[in-house]
Amino acid sequence: MINPRHLPLVFKQVVRHRTRTLLTVGGVAAAMFLFCAVQAMQHAVARATDGRADETTLVVYRENRFCPFTSRLPEHYERRIVAIPHVRSVVPLKIVVNNCRAGLDVITFRGVPEESVESLGLRILEGSLEAWRARGDAALVGRSLAARRGLSVGQSFDAAGVTVTVAGIVDSDAPQDQSVAYVHLPFLQRAARGGGQGIVTQFNVKVDEARHLEAVARAIDAEFRDDQEPTYTSPETAFIARAAHDVVEIVGFTRWLGWACLAAVLGLVANAIVLSVQDRVKEHAILQTLGFRSGLIAALIVLESILLSLLGGAAGAGAAAGVLAWGHFALTVEGVNIAVAADPLAAATGVGLAALLGVAAGLFPAWRASRRPIAQCFRAV
Amino acid sequence: MTTAPFIQCRSLTRAYRKGATVITPLRELDLDVPAGDFVALMGPSGSGKTTLLNLIAGIDRPTAGSLIIGGVDLGRLSAARLADWRAASVGYVFQLYNLVPVLTAYENVELPLLLRRMPSRERHRRVALALELTGIADRHDHYPRQLSGGQEQRVAIARAIVADPPLLVADEPTGDLDGESAAAIMSLLVRLNRELGKTLIMVTHDPRSAAHARRTLHLEKGRLVADDRPNAEAAA
Repeated sequence: MINPRHLPLVFKQVVRHRTRTLLTVGGVAAAMFLFCAVQAMQHAVARATDGRADETTLVVYRENRFCPFTSRLPEHYERRIVAIPHVRSVVPLKIVVNNCRAGLDVITFRGVPEESVESLGLRILEGSLEAWRARGDAALVGRSLAARRGLSVGQSFDAAGVTVTVAGIVDSDAPQDQSVAYVHLPFLQRAARGGGQGIVTQFNVKVDEARHLEAVARAIDAEFRDDQEPTYTSPETAFIARAAHDVVEIVGFTRWLGWACLAAVLGLVANAIVLSVQDRVKEHAILQTLGFRSGLIAALIVLESILLSLLGGAAGAGAAAGVLAWGHFALTVEGVNIAVAADPLAAATGVGLAALLGVAAGLFPAWRASRRPIAQCFRAV
Repeated sequence: MTTAPFIQCRSLTRAYRKGATVITPLRELDLDVPAGDFVALMGPSGSGKTTLLNLIAGIDRPTAGSLIIGGVDLGRLSAARLADWRAASVGYVFQLYNLVPVLTAYENVELPLLLRRMPSRERHRRVALALELTGIADRHDHYPRQLSGGQEQRVAIARAIVADPPLLVADEPTGDLDGESAAAIMSLLVRLNRELGKTLIMVTHDPRSAAHARRTLHLEKGRLVADDRPNAEAAA
């Protein structure tokens, strides 16, 4: 029915009222920007908090504590945890943040024992592990944090009363590692306010198989139930979900914002198309007089609607991807980072939805335009 | 042996409802038009001229009676088939030209050909020929707002003939033009009728325009009241 040779007609109509088109495309772009940003946040939270069947990492935290400043566990717990069956490795971590509240630009220091750093699965992008080992105040800085703060190797920076020197920029498959600075555990224990030798915030425990996760967690908590510092052990994703509960709830609410954005796109495009079709009643009658079938007229109108919506959708999705990629944002709360990255899936979803909304917005005006008797159209104008 | 007329109307009636009132602008009209004829439709406002023209052009449908053009009973065609028939069989020239303002003269003329599968080179050739024939080739890249009324009407005529339909209908084609432009347009229409053999049905209020036709039909209150053939010998 519709053919590539008809496309210039559609383009001509789209650029016909430039101001109206720009306003519509701009409005759609703004709405789709918001939608894609919300989607990226939703995906980031889902990635960080959805339990996986193959998950093998547990986080041991102080029972009834939710903030890294108040979770204070004796470092020597490590030896007892290692002895529990099915535990493969234990990494004691000291966590210090410059802001305990939720934020998009929080600096998180993670103190790790020197011998454990290789087990973190970090990829060195700049600098070296040797440089980190050679210097007591050295930090391996996550890629996102380095980009966000403009940090480079050799540069010193301080936060939360801790001054460190960047020994390397690192990347990792774990979203948590993108926005943290790994430092030596003894250094952080000394440097942090209220630090304390022999005290850590948490233990990251690797178990040998995912099916042992729950049993090991129960065994760890049972081991320390009667100690002065009892523990609460949970899978890493559940730990993040619990620690970032408020943020997760807020991000969950933003789903409604996303729906509202889509409704706005539908309204904007439908309004533009209705106005455009009303202006062109006579032209459609002329085209029909020339032999254009009403179905073809309807298809041209729907195509025009799709084009408007796609232009705005692509601009909005592209802008959202650009801003997120450039900003390297991480939702951080209680020392837990949820990296909000540019999400190609969210962008593609946004563009796809924009096209669908274009179809939906164009259908009714197209149907009306195609149903109008030709002679009546000429009489009406 | 007699050949069937190109246009055959039998008891052709068009009525429509306006509120509680039924208006019948065309009543039981019988008419035969041979192929290649040039017919002027005259009559006072509301006499049914444009209604008859719209029915013949296939942009309106009869309420009763039959209308057969080129052997096709228009009343029996679906909306889609009727659209296809219009694309292939009729070119419409409006009083107010009705060009699409966002398209150039060339693009306006090209419109009917967009419905046909043909190589773009052939499309270009036909558009160029139509523009040449109507004497407006030098303005092919102008938009309607950049053309005079007479030039716009030439473009409209080029658009009407570009698909080479056997039937041309014109609704007061000179009604909005000055005397000189009107004469030029009429001479163009006459050429299309005489040289290309197009059957031409033209609504007009202007006796000078009607004088070019071979036959003049007078309508009043939806009925045919006179059928003058002052130039009939020219049709032979």
